[in-house]
Amino acid sequence: MPHLDFSVLLQGQFLDWLLAGVRLSLTLTVLALVIALPLGTLIALARLAPFPPLRALAWTYVEAVRNVPLLAHMLFWYFAVPELLPDGVKAWLYAGNVEAAAALAALVVYTAAFVAEDVRSGLRSVPPGQWEAAKSMGLRFAGSVRWVVLPQALRATVPPLISQTLNLWKNTSIATVVGAAELMYQAQRVESATFRGFETFAMATATYLGVSMLITGAGVLYQRRYPVRPAGH
Amino acid sequence: MTLTVTRRALLVIATSAAMLGIAHADQLDDIKKKGELVVGVLGTDEPNSFIDPKTREIVGYEVDLAKAVAQKLGVKLRLKQLAVAARIPELQQGHVDVLAASLTHNKEREAVIDFSLTTFVTGQKVLVKKDSGIKALNQLAGKKVVTIKGGTQEPNVRKAVPSVDVVTFDTGPQAFQALQQGKGVAFVNDEVSLLDQYAKLGPTASQYEILSANLSVEPLALGLRKGETKLKAQVDGALRELEANGTAEQLFNKWYGPSTRLKFQTRSFKIDSDQVEG
Repeated sequence: MPHLDFSVLLQGQFLDWLLAGVRLSLTLTVLALVIALPLGTLIALARLAPFPPLRALAWTYVEAVRNVPLLAHMLFWYFAVPELLPDGVKAWLYAGNVEAAAALAALVVYTAAFVAEDVRSGLRSVPPGQWEAAKSMGLRFAGSVRWVVLPQALRATVPPLISQTLNLWKNTSIATVVGAAELMYQAQRVESATFRGFETFAMATATYLGVSMLITGAGVLYQRRYPVRPAGH
Repeated sequence: MTLTVTRRALLVIATSAAMLGIAHADQLDDIKKKGELVVGVLGTDEPNSFIDPKTREIVGYEVDLAKAVAQKLGVKLRLKQLAVAARIPELQQGHVDVLAASLTHNKEREAVIDFSLTTFVTGQKVLVKKDSGIKALNQLAGKKVVTIKGGTQEPNVRKAVPSVDVVTFDTGPQAFQALQQGKGVAFVNDEVSLLDQYAKLGPTASQYEILSANLSVEPLALGLRKGETKLKAQVDGALRELEANGTAEQLFNKWYGPSTRLKFQTRSFKIDSDQVEG
């Protein structure tokens, strides 16, 4: 066991680098979640829609995305997709933080596929009688979903969505391969500068763990406050 | 009773730990016992170490040096491909015996590892797209520059141009691709690697140029674990022999000389010193 010395990492610039990394990791997580939740919900609804081509499209999306590793998604969104854009848009994008933007796109697309599956399971947990009851009230598909089924389904979906948020938080670390300066990227930078790999990655690990615990804690609190209510049979 | 058992167990653990310590006291003996020398290489940095497209084997200037060292020790050579950023940790943790991975010998690193005689001297330079209009280092201020993770490139370019924005990638080819796509205005790397990539561009090479300014002088050497003096003596001995019998010159010409893509006319260094300027 090497001698551990954290003091080096708690000085000015190295700590600043790590904190900047944490900031970007959190930003990526929050933004990706805010976009992927509604997107995933829409995809889940499309998979249950009364229109077969839409169902097929949504199914294709989920399967194509879920079965490819996130690393490949990242490289695809960074090295391939922007090259297909019109020159003006491309130049504008490259002048900004294209690394973070590509990482965000990959995380959104990837997370949305998983969210869609969780929401779909939630929708299927609502007893068929609820759909029928909604229909008998004169509601169509969209109305039934909005007023009757989705409110019940989303409650049941919260626990798996919490675990999806955890996955998303950890998945941000893959963004280092496209040069997005998140926590893992900055940890590697600090390690290269200080040769204190153990300490640097111990700190990064503790940060990932700490935030993960907070997410789990939030999930527990939510479930206490709003327990999953099985619909009446 | 249980106490004595615990004590005895502790004693056993302590003695075996001590014996392990003794067994690992000298790396040279370990290497000879194993009958193989594990050398960490990049495999992504032509012509130091790269994958030959025909044979799918890792070849290059540093691979030939590693072969000579293994031969001197009378053991088999096993190459292990490493990422730039993982080189020093992998060596420290004993996953490789020696690094032959385009490793810069500098004062900061002397605190954590030892170095062989200097095996190559290059400078770090900047490759830019001509249409960026950049002619001098100071024009990189506030601009985005791409390079490799975990090397000396990022600290060097930041030292030269404090306000530069740096984005790093796992390998040289990845960083170069980002530059070609216009995701940065410049690519910082060892001059030999830049020249090699420049030569590979073919007709599009005319759109790029390498700025004449040197960011730094980079003496490359083999990396060794700290304090393994017997192993270092053997490694340095092997390198001295290469210099003395003319093989070092031949290897330089084989990988860098006039008949290669890089077309270096002469060798500006000798393999004879393990000292670097701070």
